[in-house]
Amino acid sequence: MKRQIQALTVFLLLGAIKLPIEEAATHHLRGAKLLTKPISVSLRESLGQASFAASLGGLRSLVASITYLRAYREWENINWAKVDSLFQITTRLQPTYFNYWDEASWHMAFNAASSYLYNQDINPMLRGKLYEEHVQRGIDILKEGLLFLPDEPRLWNSLAEIYARRVHDPKKAAECYLEVFRISHNDRYSRFAGYQFAQASDRESWVKGYELLKRAYDKEQRPPSVIDELKNLEDRLNTPPQQRIPDARPKMEINHGEVGPTQ
Amino acid sequence: MPDSTSSPPAVTVENLTKVFKSGLGKQAFVAVRDLTLTVQTGEVYGLIGPNGSGKSTTMKAILGLLSPTMGKTTIFGKSSIEVESRSDVGFLPENPYFYKHLSGLETLLFYGRLCSMSGRDLQDKAREMLALTGLEDAADRRVGGFSKGMLQRLGLAQALLHEPRLIILDEPTAGVDPAGSRKIRDLIMGFKESGITVLVTSHLLEQIQEVCDRVGIMAHGRMVREGRLDDLIAVENETELILADASPELLAEIRAIAESKGAKWIRSGHSRTTLERLFLESTEEPKS
Amino acid sequence: MKYHSFSPARIWTLAAATVTQLVRMKIMAFLVVFCVIVVAAGFAFPVMNPEQQLKLLKDVSFGALQIFSVVIAIVSTALLLPRDLEDRTLYTILSKPVPRYEYLLGKLIGVLLLIGAGLVLMDIAFSAVLWLRQSLVLAQSIAALKQEGVATPEALAQLNEFVGKQGLTWNIHLGVLAIFLKASVIAALSLMISCFASSTLFTVVISLLVTIIGHGQGLIREYFFSEGMNQIMKKLGSALLAIITPDLGVFDVLDNVINGELVSAFSAGVMVGTAAMYVTGYLLVSHLLFVEKEL
Repeated sequence: MKRQIQALTVFLLLGAIKLPIEEAATHHLRGAKLLTKPISVSLRESLGQASFAASLGGLRSLVASITYLRAYREWENINWAKVDSLFQITTRLQPTYFNYWDEASWHMAFNAASSYLYNQDINPMLRGKLYEEHVQRGIDILKEGLLFLPDEPRLWNSLAEIYARRVHDPKKAAECYLEVFRISHNDRYSRFAGYQFAQASDRESWVKGYELLKRAYDKEQRPPSVIDELKNLEDRLNTPPQQRIPDARPKMEINHGEVGPTQ
Repeated sequence: MPDSTSSPPAVTVENLTKVFKSGLGKQAFVAVRDLTLTVQTGEVYGLIGPNGSGKSTTMKAILGLLSPTMGKTTIFGKSSIEVESRSDVGFLPENPYFYKHLSGLETLLFYGRLCSMSGRDLQDKAREMLALTGLEDAADRRVGGFSKGMLQRLGLAQALLHEPRLIILDEPTAGVDPAGSRKIRDLIMGFKESGITVLVTSHLLEQIQEVCDRVGIMAHGRMVREGRLDDLIAVENETELILADASPELLAEIRAIAESKGAKWIRSGHSRTTLERLFLESTEEPKS
Repeated sequence: MKYHSFSPARIWTLAAATVTQLVRMKIMAFLVVFCVIVVAAGFAFPVMNPEQQLKLLKDVSFGALQIFSVVIAIVSTALLLPRDLEDRTLYTILSKPVPRYEYLLGKLIGVLLLIGAGLVLMDIAFSAVLWLRQSLVLAQSIAALKQEGVATPEALAQLNEFVGKQGLTWNIHLGVLAIFLKASVIAALSLMISCFASSTLFTVVISLLVTIIGHGQGLIREYFFSEGMNQIMKKLGSALLAIITPDLGVFDVLDNVINGELVSAFSAGVMVGTAAMYVTGYLLVSHLLFVEKEL
């Protein structure tokens, strides 16, 4: 009996001593991005008992994969609301995996939006509204994802594409491409930003666009589109002739199947 | 009895009391009550008593498998609480059971290593023990397929493996056929000859009778009788006389002489063999 | 024969016997099931994008690894001690000069050796499939890029980077280490429970329960430490739960390792240290429970 009391005492003492150590270990591992914050209450409710227990038991990644697959199936069934809610669970389970955010927003802003836009069964007025709503939903998803992954170039790139191709807001698209450039240092995105600024309707943007494209030109990045756009901008900005780039296009060999020069 | 003044007794049990508490609200059970006994080095001590009389509890206390509620036990002067006290003991539990996934040889190697034996010595010793207990053929068979008798013999081999000075046998003949128990009896005689101390329990009185130097009888957790076997079972005022080829006339003559000298003739007749001896004689293979 | 109160050789003998026992109980059959799962996961779902395919392969494989290690840790540990007691094998073992803590240590080491070996084998099988799948995915993607005429060096480099991050890295093996550490803690916990439990079933059920709560212990603990708590009973309850259960969530780095996060030597050290703390503590309690246990 004496030993049992000793054992219980040691057990409880150990339990109390370990608390701050556990706290410190968790803090460190979260800092090292190896652990993710615990699941929020709202997600717990939408997960269901078994999935919640499994996701707690270190199988979060697996549960996320399963909800992802379910979302995939709902996509094939063209059930957009379900796709959205399943992706919401998936991204909450693994918010640091960029691909879930990317795909969730792609489904909303491109697949769902277009699907509604071309759906002949829906009132034309409503179609436009649904299109806009789903594009916006795609943007919101990416913005939320960027809160978790502010330095993920692919999310910024996707956001830029939505602004450029779905919302037709070249200035916002350009800002996003500049973020991609900031993170990846890939000059291609600086040029993309330049093209987008050139599409804007205000002079200030044109100046920004010209600067970006000229910088590319000065680095000997001179695909035809850069030169065309620069000349176009020089006209619009009334650049004095002596400051303009030369008329003659530099000779360059374009291999079939490649876009732009190599860097 | 061998001289025991130079070395401590093989086993001492002093005022051993063991109480089992069985949960809340239930009555505690006293298995052994104020038991004292000593086994001298080199003797064969038999502890007999009905089931539940406290024999096994006493053995477990001696082996340190149970801690006494009161009193103390020692082996060769070392307290049973110390692990070291078990270096010189071999123990054969009642109906021993081993890891059934191991073969006979592997089992012995396992126990040998626990006794800090190793290498060639251990291999040789294990083979020797298998031979001694007649298990050579079962060396590579899984223990899972052993019969009760084979398990008993493997248990004995395991107990003897590290050449202990004391062997404790708990009901060694329980569930073993007469030929098997005869063999065990012979082994115990062998131990005695080589100076090994033996402590054996049994509830079958016959079997213990032939081999024990001293016997303790336990009942309800207490020692009821203890002493040299001959002293305990001799009927002091009776004498046995066994004759072969005696004619009825001779018997009548002897009876007359006896009665004339004041002795009382109780009975005469043909000696009876024991059922056990009959069994052994009729099942033994003819020697050719 | 000189007796030593601590003998690594004896512990090793007990551990080796435990491994043999478990192996001959055909516990490793799980390995075959695992390989089937991995190969199936590796080649199912070809419709998804290459990265997602690799991620799914890793998710499913590591899920199976985790389940294997936790189940073996609980069930095999829970089986060992009560079974030795029921079969009275314990009598013959402990009537040899074997200190009881060596017996406990031997059993635990045996179980850990088995889990460790199982994890290494499964890691090898899984790595092979992942590598194969990765090479295949890369080749397919490059072919697709070329066909679309967009196989620029930039695009190829990007593809390589994506697949490389989701593919086979040394880092993944550190994730397996985390699984092993978690299993060690659970095995030590089960051993402790089996020291006072009266049956195998009880040990299994309680260990499983503590394991499940242990995964949420972080939540409970944070609830206890959070400010502005005024319900004294709830606070006491959460404190008690946090004290009696280990925080198994500490070892759940796998999700993020699958995702490509790197495990630094220091982080690995933190996990090893935490696991060592639990295992030592539970062994100490087990020893106290077992040292005078009536057999």
